[in-house]
Amino acid sequence: MKSGRQITRRRLLRGMLAGSAVTVGLPILDCVLNTNGTAFASTGSPLPARFATWYWPLGLGEDDWAPKVSGANYALPPQMAPLKPLKEKLNFFTGGQVFLDGQSNNVHFTGLQGLMTGKVANSREYLGSIDALISEVIGRGSRFRSIEVACAGSPRDCWSARVDSGVQPAEISPVALYSRIFGAEFKDPNAAEFTPDPDVMLKKSVLSGITEERQSLMKRLGTADREKLDNYFTSLRELEQKLQIQLQKPEPLPSCTIPQPLSVDKEPAVTLATEAIDRANLFGGLLAHALACGQTNVTNLAISRPQSGLRKNGDATAHHTHTHEEQIDANLGYQPVCRWFADQYMSALAQFATRLNSIKEGDRTLLDSMVLFAFTDHGAPRLHSVRNYPIITFGSGGGRIKTGMHIGRPGDQVTRVGLTIQQAMGVQTSSWGVGSNRVTSPISEVFA
Amino acid sequence: MKNVTALLASAPFAALAVGVTAPAHAETRGYVISWFGTATHVTDFKNSCPQNKNGGGAEWLIRDLISIGYSKAQAVKLAEGGEVAGPLREKLAKRAVVNGKNVSIYNYPDAVPDPDIETVSGKYAYGFDLGGKNEAAKFIDPDTGGKVDNQLWRAIGCTASFRAEPPAMPFPEEVSWNAMVETSPGWSMMITADDFTKDGKVTITLDRVTQHLERDAAGNIMSSASYVIDPSPKSHNVLKGELKGGVITIEPQDIYLQAEMPFYPEMALRNAHMRITVKPDGQLVGYWGGYFSRERFSYMITSRPGHGGDSIGIYHAVKKMADASPDPKTGQNEEISSTWRMEAVPAFLTTVDGKIVANAVMPAAAPAQVAAADSAN
Amino acid sequence: MKARSNIAGAVAAAALLSASLASVQTQAASSAPTSSGEPLSWRLGPSQYRQTIAEVFGPSISITGRFDPEYRQDGLLTIGARTASISSSGIERYDELAENVAAQIVDRRHRDTLIPCKPQTPAANDDACARQFLSAAGRLLYRRALAEEEISLSVRIAGEVAKAKQDFYTGLAAALSNMLLSPNFLYVYKTFEPDPDEKGKLRLDGYSKASVLSFFLWNAPPDDSLLSAAENGEIHTQKGLKRQVDRMLASPSLEHGVRAFFADMLGFSEFETLAKDPTFYPRFTPRVIDQAQEQTLRTIVDLLVVRQGDYRDLYTTPDTFLTRSLAALYGVPIVDTTDNGQPERWIPYKYGADDPRAGILSHASFVALHSPSGRSSPTDRGKALREYLLCQAVPSPPADVSFAVVQDTNHPVHKTARERLSAHATDAACSGCHKITDPIGLALENFDTAGGYRTTENGAPIDTSGELNGTRFDGPVGLTKALHDDPALTACVATRAIAYASGRTPGRSDAELKRIQAEFGKKKYNFVELLREVSLSDALFKVPPSAAQLVTAAQ
Repeated sequence: MKSGRQITRRRLLRGMLAGSAVTVGLPILDCVLNTNGTAFASTGSPLPARFATWYWPLGLGEDDWAPKVSGANYALPPQMAPLKPLKEKLNFFTGGQVFLDGQSNNVHFTGLQGLMTGKVANSREYLGSIDALISEVIGRGSRFRSIEVACAGSPRDCWSARVDSGVQPAEISPVALYSRIFGAEFKDPNAAEFTPDPDVMLKKSVLSGITEERQSLMKRLGTADREKLDNYFTSLRELEQKLQIQLQKPEPLPSCTIPQPLSVDKEPAVTLATEAIDRANLFGGLLAHALACGQTNVTNLAISRPQSGLRKNGDATAHHTHTHEEQIDANLGYQPVCRWFADQYMSALAQFATRLNSIKEGDRTLLDSMVLFAFTDHGAPRLHSVRNYPIITFGSGGGRIKTGMHIGRPGDQVTRVGLTIQQAMGVQTSSWGVGSNRVTSPISEVFA
Repeated sequence: MKNVTALLASAPFAALAVGVTAPAHAETRGYVISWFGTATHVTDFKNSCPQNKNGGGAEWLIRDLISIGYSKAQAVKLAEGGEVAGPLREKLAKRAVVNGKNVSIYNYPDAVPDPDIETVSGKYAYGFDLGGKNEAAKFIDPDTGGKVDNQLWRAIGCTASFRAEPPAMPFPEEVSWNAMVETSPGWSMMITADDFTKDGKVTITLDRVTQHLERDAAGNIMSSASYVIDPSPKSHNVLKGELKGGVITIEPQDIYLQAEMPFYPEMALRNAHMRITVKPDGQLVGYWGGYFSRERFSYMITSRPGHGGDSIGIYHAVKKMADASPDPKTGQNEEISSTWRMEAVPAFLTTVDGKIVANAVMPAAAPAQVAAADSAN
Repeated sequence: MKARSNIAGAVAAAALLSASLASVQTQAASSAPTSSGEPLSWRLGPSQYRQTIAEVFGPSISITGRFDPEYRQDGLLTIGARTASISSSGIERYDELAENVAAQIVDRRHRDTLIPCKPQTPAANDDACARQFLSAAGRLLYRRALAEEEISLSVRIAGEVAKAKQDFYTGLAAALSNMLLSPNFLYVYKTFEPDPDEKGKLRLDGYSKASVLSFFLWNAPPDDSLLSAAENGEIHTQKGLKRQVDRMLASPSLEHGVRAFFADMLGFSEFETLAKDPTFYPRFTPRVIDQAQEQTLRTIVDLLVVRQGDYRDLYTTPDTFLTRSLAALYGVPIVDTTDNGQPERWIPYKYGADDPRAGILSHASFVALHSPSGRSSPTDRGKALREYLLCQAVPSPPADVSFAVVQDTNHPVHKTARERLSAHATDAACSGCHKITDPIGLALENFDTAGGYRTTENGAPIDTSGELNGTRFDGPVGLTKALHDDPALTACVATRAIAYASGRTPGRSDAELKRIQAEFGKKKYNFVELLREVSLSDALFKVPPSAAQLVTAAQ
C-alpha cells in the first residue's frame, strides 16, 4: 500500500473571531486539496507526505520573543536568527497555552502532555502524540512506521507515544541507527536489480508460527494482560511488515542517496550541549536519508530530557538549573547563559531543516514535501509557565499549508496548532483534545 | 583569587585513613612522576639558532640523500614528493660501511660522517652548575639567573622536534613516554619533612613502582592513586634535601632509575641536582640536572628513528658537546651535562607487604566552576 | 476508510480506559497506557533475560544485543515491567537477540554439549531429535511444560527450515529463535486454576508460583527441581513450599536475587546515563562507573547474605570493597599488589572509626549517581534518599514560582550549595517541599558530585549540619545514624520486597505488610529472613479479584 493519500476538496466557512480567522469544518472529514501538483512527473503517483518532530529543552528565554505582528511581515526574534534563511518556509506559532483544568502542573511534563497529546491528566499518562496519530495515516506502508532518536544518551527522552502502547523508546546511537536502517536489510530503491531474498521469505513464514500461539495464550490471560499481548502482536506485525517490504521491489526514489557509514565507533556519554548537538547532526543526516529513501515517513528527535542536564563547556551548572538561578540581565532583558543554549538549539534546528531543504525532489525539496514540527516544554521555563508556547513548523507538507507566517494567538489553546497540523497531514479528525484543551477548528490561515 | 598553597593545606582524611604510618613528627608525601623529558627553553629561536640550517624532516632527508650521491635537485624532489620508501629507505638506513659491509646507521653511527647539525648558540637554558670547567660553554638559567652546565641542550636545542614549550613534550620523548606510561612501571617520589609549612630539611626517596601509571578521564595521569613500591634496591635512591621558600633542592648525589624502552631504558644522572616546587593544585614541577651518558641518550634517539630528529646528526652533536668523563684511551667525553624537566602528581605509596608509607596530599579546594556567558563554545 | 475506523476505535478505547494506576508518583517521563484490569504478567527484564540464557544454556553464550528500556513505577523497575509492552523497535532488538543466541547454541562449539541428541543426517530434518531438544529447552524457557500443539508447531518449523536450508541445525535454530521471541518467553505470566482446597476459589497455578518465587529469590527462571515441585503439587503445600524456599535461600544463586533486588530498589538504572565532566572530575573514569555498582552490591551481599547482618547497618558499616580505581576516586590509600597490567582486584576495605565515609551512602553509587554531571545537588540527593530508601514520595515543584529571589551562582556571597539553596529554605512557596530534601542532601555536601571528599567549596568551608524527620545532626556520620534509627528505613525495604516479589505495592496499612515488618524487626532486620518471610506469606501468591473472570488453563 502506498503511503500517499487521496485527498478531496473541503469546503470551508470562514469567519472572523477576535481578529483571527476561524474555520468551521463540515462533518465530512476530508482535507484540503492542494492544487500545486505534488506528483512525480513520471509516474503520476502522489509523493508521500512526511512528518518530523524536533524537541528542544527549555524554550526560547524569558524575554519577549513573540513577534508583535501576525502574518507574513514579521521580525524573527534574535534567538531565531539562525532560521532566517528559511523564514519563507517556516511558520512561527506563538501565544498558545495549555489549560490545566485543575490538574497539577507537573513541571516540564504537563505542558507537553497537553501540547502533544491534547490531554492533561494528573498521572504521567502520555498516549497518542501528534506524530503517532499522523503516522497512523502516513506511516503504515513504509518499512518503519516511525523512527525515534534522542541526543543525550537516554532512550526515555522521547515524546512520541502510540495510542495503545505508549511512549516509544528512542535510539541513542547513530551507529546503531545506521545499521538498523541502512544495514543488511536495506533495499536500495534505485538499485537496478531486485531479487527477493528467500531467507527473508523463510523468516516471515517462521515468524507466523508465533502468531499461531496467540489464541492459546489469550485464553489464559486477564484483560490487562490481553491488552499487552495485543500490543506485542501489533509490534510483531510491524516486524512482519518490515520483512514483507523487503520482499517487494521498492519504488525508485531519485532523491534517495545512501549515506556513508559513520566513522565514529565509540559514542561517549553526552553531558555538554555541544555534544548533544553533534549527535543531533549525525542523527539529522541519517533521518534525512531515511526519509528521502522511503524507509520511513515519520521521524522524531529529542535533544535531551526537559530538565536538561546539558551544560556549557567549563560550566558546572546545568541548563535547567540556570533557567531558575541565572539573573535576568537588566540591560539585555534575558538570561545570557540560557540564551547561549537557545542559540545552540536554534542553530541545530536550522541545520536539520537546511539539510532537509537541500534534498531535491523534482522541482521541490524534501522539506517542501513535509512538515517539520519543532516544539519545547515551556516557552518561558523559569516559572514553568504553560502559557505562550513557541512552535516552529517548516515545510508546506507538499503544498498543503502556507508558510512564511507568524501566527500569534495569545490565550488560545495550543492544541489548535496540533489539530491544524494533523488535518494538514491527512488525519481524519474535526476535533482534538480533552476538556479546555479541546479544539474543533483549525487555524485556517495556514491552509493553502 | 583564592590563595591556596598545597604546602599550607591541612592534609585531608587521607592522613587519617587506616594503615597510614603516622610518624610522630614527620610527614611523608607521595608522588608519581607523571612527565619526564628534556628541559627545553624555546622562546628565542632567532638568537638560539641563528643559522636556522637544521630544518625539519624534509631537510635532513635531503642531506642524507645528498650524502649517498643524489644531487640537490633530485634529493629535494624525492624528499618533498614523499617517495623515500621501500628500497630507497633501506638504502639510506644502511649507508654505513663497516669492514666493507653495509650496516645500519643506527647501530653504527660513528661510521656515518658527521652531518654537522647546528647547535645552540643562544644564552639561556635551564640547569645547574655541575662544576663544568668550561665557563664559555655555560648557559644562564632563565629562572635562577645562575650559570649552568647543559651541553645536551646545546646539542639538540636546534632540532625542531625537541623545541617544545611545556606542557608540550619534545616529540620523540612524548611518543616514547606515552607508550611507556601505558605499560611500564612508573617512578615514585616520596618527600619527608618535619613540617611542610616551614623551611627545613627534607628527605627525598626515589623508587620504581610495580605498576604502570594510571590515566584519568581527561587523559592526564591520575592523582591520588595507590602504587606499590618495587622492593628492588636497584632503583632506590635516598636524597638529602632542603625546603626553602617553597622550593626543594638536594645535596648533589648520583641517581639511578630503571625505565623501559621505548623511553630511556635507564635514567642515570651523575652528580644530580634538583629543584622542585609544589603547585597550588598539589602537583610538583621541577628540574633535575646531572651528567648523563651520551651513549644512553643516543640509544634512545637512534632506536626509534624517524620520530622527529635527525638521529645521526644528534648523535654526532651530542658526541661533540659531551663535556665530562673522558675515555682514558680516546679522550672522548662519555658524559654530557643535561637538564630534565619533571612533573609529578600526588599518589599513595605502599610497600609490598602492605604498609602505607606516603600520603597523596590533594589541595583542599577544587577550582571554581562557573559559567561565563560570553565564553567561547 | 481503514484509517478512519482505526482512529475512531482507538480514541474510543482510550476513553474507556481507567484513568489512574495506583496512587504513587512515577519517576520516569511516563511509559505505558493504563489498563482496565490489573496487569499480572511482567516483561522479562534485561538481567532476567541474561540470567535465563546463562542458566539454561551456560555462561559461554554471549548476549550482545540491546533491550527495550525499562521504566520505573512505584519505585521499582519490576513493577514498571508489569505494564511494559514491547515496542516495534523493541521487537526488532529481541528478534536480533533471539537469532544471535540461537545461532550460538547450535554452532559447532556448543551443539554437542547443549543438544542431547544427534540428527540421523545433519543435512536433513530429524523430528525426533528436534522434539527431544525443543521440549526440554521449551520447558525451561517458557517455565512450564509445553502443550503438545506447541511442541508439534516447534518441531514443524524446525523441519521446514531444515528442509529448505538442508541443515538440521539451521532448522533447530529457527525454532529456538521463535521460542526466544515468543511472548511465552518474553513475558512471565501469572495464570490461575481452581483451588482444590477452597471450593469456588482460585489459586495461582504451580508454574506461576514457581516463576514468582524463582525470579524473586534468584532473578532467574525456575530450575528443574522447582519446576518438578510445581508439577507434582509440592509447591502448593506449606511444607513443600518451605522446603523449596529453604533450598533456594541456601543456594549460591541467592546472591543473584539479592543483587537484582537492590540494583532495582537503589535506582542503579540511572547508571545508564551517568557521566561527570572530566575536566572537573578526572578521577571519575569509565571504569569507575562499572565498579561503583559492583562496590555497593558486593558490600550488600557481604553484609546481608554472607554475614546475615542487620539491614540498617548497611548505612553505617565501615566495611566495603575497593579497587585501585575506586580508591583513587575516594582519595584513600589501598594496597593492591596485583601484577602490572592485570585486571584490578576487589580488596576488602575498612574505614576507620567515625570516618565520614562509612555506609553505602558515601559510595559513588549514591552520592555520584543521584547527582548531576557538573556539580552536586543536595536536592537530588535528598530526594533520592527519600524515594529510594524511605519509600517517601517527594512532590513535583509547583508552577509559576517566582525565582526573582534566587541569586545566581556568580554572586560573591553564594559559594556553597547551602547558600545557593537558602532561598529554597526561606521562601514559603519553595520550603514546603525543599525542607523534605535539602537538609538531607546538605549533610552530604562533603561529597562532590563524583564522590570525592572535600571540606570546602569555592574556598568556603562546607557546613554539613542537617535534619532528617526531626532528628538534627552534623555531617554524614550523623545522617547515617539518624537514617539507621529511622523506622521508615526498615519499613520501606520490607514494602519494596513484597512489591518486588508480588508486583503490587501493599498499602501502608496492609495487615500482611505490618506483620512482615514486625517479623523483620523480631529477626533483627536479617534480610535473608525477610526474604523467607515474604516467600512464605500470603502476599506472594495473592489472587487478585480480576482473576475471577479468567478462563483458566485446564491441566
